[in-house]
Amino acid sequence: MLAQLVDMSLWESVVRALIPVLLAAIGGLICERAGVFQISLEGMMLAGAFAAVAAAHVTGSALAAAAAAAVAGVLLSLVLAFGAVSRGGNAIVLGVAINILAVGLTSFLLPQLFGVRGSFQPEGGVRILRIAIPGLSDLPFIGPVLFNLSILGYAALLLVPATWLFLFRTQLGLRLRGVGERPLAAETLGVSSTVYRYAAVVASGVLAGLAGAQLALGNVGVFTEGISSGRGWIAVVAVMLGRAHPFGVLAACLLFGFTEAFGFRLQGQGYPVQITDALPFVVTLVALVIARKRFRRLLDLTASTV
Amino acid sequence: MRGKRWWALLAALTLLLAACGGGSSEETSAPETTAAPSGTEEDTSTETTAAPAEGEDEGAEAEGGEGPHFIYITPNPIGENEFLQMGETGTQAAAERLGGTAETFESTDPSSSRANIEAAVEAAPDIIVLTTFQLTDMAVEFASANPDQKFILIDDCPPEGQPENLYCVGFREHEGAYLLGIMAGNLTETNKIGSVVALDIPFFHRWSDSFYLGAQSVNPDLEPDTQVFIGGDNPFADPARAKEQALSLAAQGLDQIFSVGAASDMGVFEAAQEQGFMTYGTDVNNCPVAPEYIVDNNLKLVDNAVQTAIDLVMSGEATPFTSVGLAEGGVGVMALDDERLADSQCLVAQHPDIVEQVREAAEGIISGEIEVPDPLAAAG
Repeated sequence: MLAQLVDMSLWESVVRALIPVLLAAIGGLICERAGVFQISLEGMMLAGAFAAVAAAHVTGSALAAAAAAAVAGVLLSLVLAFGAVSRGGNAIVLGVAINILAVGLTSFLLPQLFGVRGSFQPEGGVRILRIAIPGLSDLPFIGPVLFNLSILGYAALLLVPATWLFLFRTQLGLRLRGVGERPLAAETLGVSSTVYRYAAVVASGVLAGLAGAQLALGNVGVFTEGISSGRGWIAVVAVMLGRAHPFGVLAACLLFGFTEAFGFRLQGQGYPVQITDALPFVVTLVALVIARKRFRRLLDLTASTV
Repeated sequence: MRGKRWWALLAALTLLLAACGGGSSEETSAPETTAAPSGTEEDTSTETTAAPAEGEDEGAEAEGGEGPHFIYITPNPIGENEFLQMGETGTQAAAERLGGTAETFESTDPSSSRANIEAAVEAAPDIIVLTTFQLTDMAVEFASANPDQKFILIDDCPPEGQPENLYCVGFREHEGAYLLGIMAGNLTETNKIGSVVALDIPFFHRWSDSFYLGAQSVNPDLEPDTQVFIGGDNPFADPARAKEQALSLAAQGLDQIFSVGAASDMGVFEAAQEQGFMTYGTDVNNCPVAPEYIVDNNLKLVDNAVQTAIDLVMSGEATPFTSVGLAEGGVGVMALDDERLADSQCLVAQHPDIVEQVREAAEGIISGEIEVPDPLAAAG
C-alpha cells in the first residue's frame, strides 16, 4: 500500500505544487527581511496569472506572458511600497486591500477584455517553456522530478540558494537585513531604508507575478477566477514557518506541497477528503508547536518592524 | 496616525472602485451578453441589466410591461459556463414564447447573490428563477419572507421547510452518469475507473457513484471504485489542483476518469492529454477541449428544464418538486442523439457498438426496466 502512496508521480506532483508557492514565498521572505510584512502575495499571484494569460492570448509568446505577469505584480506591489514605506501605512491593511483589488480587477477585466466570465483559455495554447535537461532528466527518480521543469520551475529552485547567498554573503544582503532589523542603525550608517524596502517589495511583486504565470501557464493552461486559490496565503505562512530563511522557507513549501500531493493519494486509497483537506493545516499547527520558541521570536521581530 | 487614516481611506476607495467596476461596463462593447448588478453598490441594478435578446437596450422596466416578467439569477458569473448560459436561454425562450420579458442578474459571490435577489424581489416579476444549490438557503429565506413572489429553484431543493411559493426543479443526473459508466465499463483496459469530484457531498455522488454503477453493469471484473475530491479553497475553479488529483489517479492505473468539477475540469482534461487516459465531462459538451480523450458528457439540458418549470408554474400546475431526467429530455449524453453526436468530437462516436448499448440502456431507464438508485435520496 505504501508503494501505491509514494509512487514516482507523487514527487513530480510535489514539485509542481511547490513551485508557484515557492516563487511567491521567496518574494515574501525578502520583504520580511527588509522589515515589510508582505501579505499581498495572493493578490499579486492572481494578477500575475491574469496578466500572463492575457498577454499569451494577445501576443502568443510565453516570454511576453511572463513579462506581463511580472509587470502586473510590480504594479500592485508599488501600492504596498508607496503606502507602507513612503507613507508609513499599515502593511496588513494595504495587503488586504491589494488582495481584494486583484480579485475585483481580474474578474472585472476578464469580461471587459475577452467577453467571457469564469474562465478563459488563451488562444494557441501558449505555455511556459518546459525543458528536460539532456542527460540529467534521464536519471532515475530525480531526473523526472527535478530536471523536467518549466523555466520558472528551475528559476524558483535556483533562487533558494541564490537568495541565501544574497542575504548572508553579500554587502547588499547585509544592508537589507540591517534595514529590516535595525532601520535606525542602518540609516545612521547611511543606508536608505526606503530604497531597500522599495526594492524588496518590488522584487516580491516580480516573483509573485511570475508565480501566477507559472500557475496559469505552467501547471495548467487556463485562467479561472480566483485561480490562486489561497496559494499566496500558503506562501505567507511558509515565510513565517521557515523563519524567513531561504532554506527554511523551501522546507516549509515542500511540506505543504507534500501534504497536498500525499493527501490526494490518501483520498485515492479511500481516506475521506475532510481528513486530507485538513492535513496541511494540521501539519502547520504541529510544525508551529515544534518551532514555537523560534516562531515567537520572529513574531516579536515582525511586530516591532511593521 | 493621520497618515494611516488617509491610507485606510484610500484603500477603502480602491475597494469601492473594484466593486463599482461592473456598473460602468455599459458604454464599452459588451455584446449581447447580459451584465448584472454587481451587488455591492446602489445604482447598478437598473443600469446594467440588459433586455432579452430582441428587446431594446434600456433595462426592461419591471412594472407596466406587458406579458409575464421573469428574472433569472445566477450565483456565479455566467462566463463560458454553458450550464448558466442554458438557464438564461431557457428563461428568455419561455418569456418570448409567452410574450413577456426576461432579465438576467449575474452574481459573483454570496453577498452579490443576496443583493441581486433583493433587487429582483423589489422588481416583483412573475417568477424569479434561481440556479444551483449555492442559492438554496437564500431561496428559502426570500420565498418565506415574500409569500406572494413565486420562485423557481433549478438544480436543488431545500431538505425541509420548503415554502409553498418555491418550486424546485431537479435533474436525475444519475441517469446520465449511469450511461457514461456503461461506456467506461466497456472501454477500460485496466478495469480501474474513478472520478475527480468537486466536493464530497451526497449531491455530487449522483455522478460518481452512478458512473461506477453503470460500469459495473457491463463489466464484472471492475476493481473497487476510486473517488477523489478537489476541496480546498476553490473547489469549482482550481484546475491546477484537479489536474494533480487526476494525475495521481492515473498513476494508480485508472484509465477512465469522470471529471465532476465545473471550471476545475480543465485540469482533468489536461491531465488526460498528458497521461493518455479517457475522461468524461459534465453538464455540456466538453469534447472539443480534448477530442481524443473525452468520451462523452453527462448533459443537463437546463434550457428544457427551465422552460418546463416556467410553463408549469404559469399554468398553476407546478408541484413543489419537479424532476427531469432522460424521459423528460432534462438530462442526456451526446451518444443519445445522432445529430448532436455527429459533430460533437466525442470519442464515443468512434464506438457505434457502445453507442447502441447506451441507447438500449437509456430506453431501459425510461421504461423503468433499469432502476438507477439516487444517492441523494439515500443520503436524505
